[in-house]
Amino acid sequence: MNDKAVRRSPVLAGGLSLIPGLGQMYAGQRYRGGAILIATLLIAGVVVWYGRPGWSFAPIGIYLWNIWDAFSLARGRARSAFLPLLLGLVVAYGIGWQMIGIDLSAASGERAMAILRPMLRPDLFERRYELNRMWTPITVPCPTGDAPPAPPASRQDGEKRAFAMPDCAGVLETVIVSVSGMWPNAETEIWWETNIGDDKPLGGNENAPLIVETDETGSLTTTIRVPSTVLIAQPDPTLALTHRIYFDQRELTSGFQLSRNGRFVVQGMVESITMALMATFLSALLAIPISFLAARNLMSSSPITIVVYVIVRTILNITRSIEALIIAIVFVVITGLGPFAGLMALVVHSVAALAKLYSEVIEGIDPGPIEAIRATGARWTQIVRYGVIPQIVPPFTAFTIYRWDINVRMSTIVGFVGGGGIGFYLVQWIQINQMGAVGAAFLAIAVVVVTLDYFSAKLRERLV
Amino acid sequence: MLSVQNLTKVYPNGTQALKEVSFDVQDGEFLVVIGLSGSGKSTLLRCINRLIDPTSGKIFWDDLDITAASPSELRHIRRHIGMVFQQFNLVKRSSVMTNVLSGRLGYANPWLSLLGIWPAEEKQRAIHALERVGIADKAQSRADALSGGQQQRVGIARALMQEPKIILADEPVASLDPVLSHSILQYLEQLNKDGMTVICSLHFLDLVHRYATRVIALKDGIKVFEGLPKEIDRAKFKEIYGEDAQEVRATSLEAPA
Repeated sequence: MNDKAVRRSPVLAGGLSLIPGLGQMYAGQRYRGGAILIATLLIAGVVVWYGRPGWSFAPIGIYLWNIWDAFSLARGRARSAFLPLLLGLVVAYGIGWQMIGIDLSAASGERAMAILRPMLRPDLFERRYELNRMWTPITVPCPTGDAPPAPPASRQDGEKRAFAMPDCAGVLETVIVSVSGMWPNAETEIWWETNIGDDKPLGGNENAPLIVETDETGSLTTTIRVPSTVLIAQPDPTLALTHRIYFDQRELTSGFQLSRNGRFVVQGMVESITMALMATFLSALLAIPISFLAARNLMSSSPITIVVYVIVRTILNITRSIEALIIAIVFVVITGLGPFAGLMALVVHSVAALAKLYSEVIEGIDPGPIEAIRATGARWTQIVRYGVIPQIVPPFTAFTIYRWDINVRMSTIVGFVGGGGIGFYLVQWIQINQMGAVGAAFLAIAVVVVTLDYFSAKLRERLV
Repeated sequence: MLSVQNLTKVYPNGTQALKEVSFDVQDGEFLVVIGLSGSGKSTLLRCINRLIDPTSGKIFWDDLDITAASPSELRHIRRHIGMVFQQFNLVKRSSVMTNVLSGRLGYANPWLSLLGIWPAEEKQRAIHALERVGIADKAQSRADALSGGQQQRVGIARALMQEPKIILADEPVASLDPVLSHSILQYLEQLNKDGMTVICSLHFLDLVHRYATRVIALKDGIKVFEGLPKEIDRAKFKEIYGEDAQEVRATSLEAPA
């Protein structure tokens, strides 16, 4: 600081600072003055914009500090900027806190436990059991007009016989169901399967299994109510169609097996891993030619190639900046729900990422060995085979494995927007509060990701 | 005999690396090229096997005009000119064996060599070349697992695979510990005694005195001296390297006999 030149009238400096920063400028510190002006306006602006007059003390405090600072500065002594900085931060955090609505009381431990407890018992395996199953058809709703009457709602299967009465019913109507020839004195779950294969529980408020015990002859008779949702996917709810009522008895045997949700978890994980593998393979194939166009050392020879280089690089940078999840939303619209959309999203994102990594490998090629092999009288194909490929294949492979790793992780979430894989099941389980299945999915994702992480790291270590 | 006539090289950015350089190299000579960094030594050596195309001037090898050779003729010429580099220029990730075999590419069947298949006799030749430089036991190591001196010996073995009549050595010891310089240069000296012409650029004057049979000096792309090593006295040295230059010895130890 040049303190000889800045000796000015302190009173005038203080007075000038009624406009924030002007006094500091007068005292010879233009940048300090400018910074104070901008900061004061910014903080006052935030308070006014968000309509929080309670926070006005901060800009007022900074304003007063500014006058004092200008006054001191003119006497050759700068004031510490600690106070205005503190006030500015207090305002920023204070208003930010109110805007986000941080409400610690909303985070209920009880609700957290209600969700976490079932997650800690992942629904992946169940005790092995023997299934004794019987079903009967039933027509919903009853045929109208001159349509033929509903066929009989009864069925015989060896010793087992099941029937419903009447033969047809409308939504929410009561039906008598009966089964005989089952295991005696055994719990029997009764559930509904719609004409398109959706299962509906019949107990509680249509949300719990209906379980009835058979008598000593292996028969049971009870009443059910046709679930309210059996026609929900029906384009014409007056059309009479055949549904089924199932009677399941289970007897536990030794050992464990994948549960129903566990099978979905396995199927989802297989889908995710396959999706990631295919996406990586496809994108590697596409990224190799693109990477040559995006390598500066290959493309700097003529103005045309430089233009191509700049265009390719720009497209890659833009594509890479869009998250795969967002690309997946676009592809779900284009290709429909399912793993294909997720695959395409991963491919687009991976091509951009891999092409950049590959092009950096190409840019980093050591020209020395190429020159040396050229000097031996080799043809250009031989130069590529012995001088270029050994330099790029190991890092290309390493980057590709790394990408596969990332893609497996990404493939678990593209399902959240309908892109297939485990995420597709996961998001539905979260929505219908099946936390046991969610826990199983988390477990499967963790195991697969950690395992792949480990092996891909080992593999890459050996390559480079 | 190699005859360089009025060789001139101007790079696209305007740098004039060589100006009208002419000299002859007799078969069996150990010609050393000296000069400051940037004086044109590397450009001169690379013009001889046309890794760099000269702007003008001629290079004749006996009656063969190297500067006018077609691409396929050029490959045949390059087969007989081995080259050793300051930075060794090995493919670091490949094995020593592959690096040495790549010296034979000019002779090899183009298709088999692309598949990486080499006849047993070529592998035998590679082992023999490695034996000549004393590192046959390293054949299966990765090139970058070797020390600098060993890598340069692999570089020499690679050049030997060409069964060269001329060896171009571009500052072969500049990246090595001074104590290793003699070891590398003695291999080149041995090859020279076996009948190969060696053209080598060097920095250290004591190495020049020890190994050269003849010396040319470049300064800013112009040949400023041609003669016997013993003719370079302090005055000549200052003339070539400039007034500020101080002679540095590669090693204070006497080279082993």
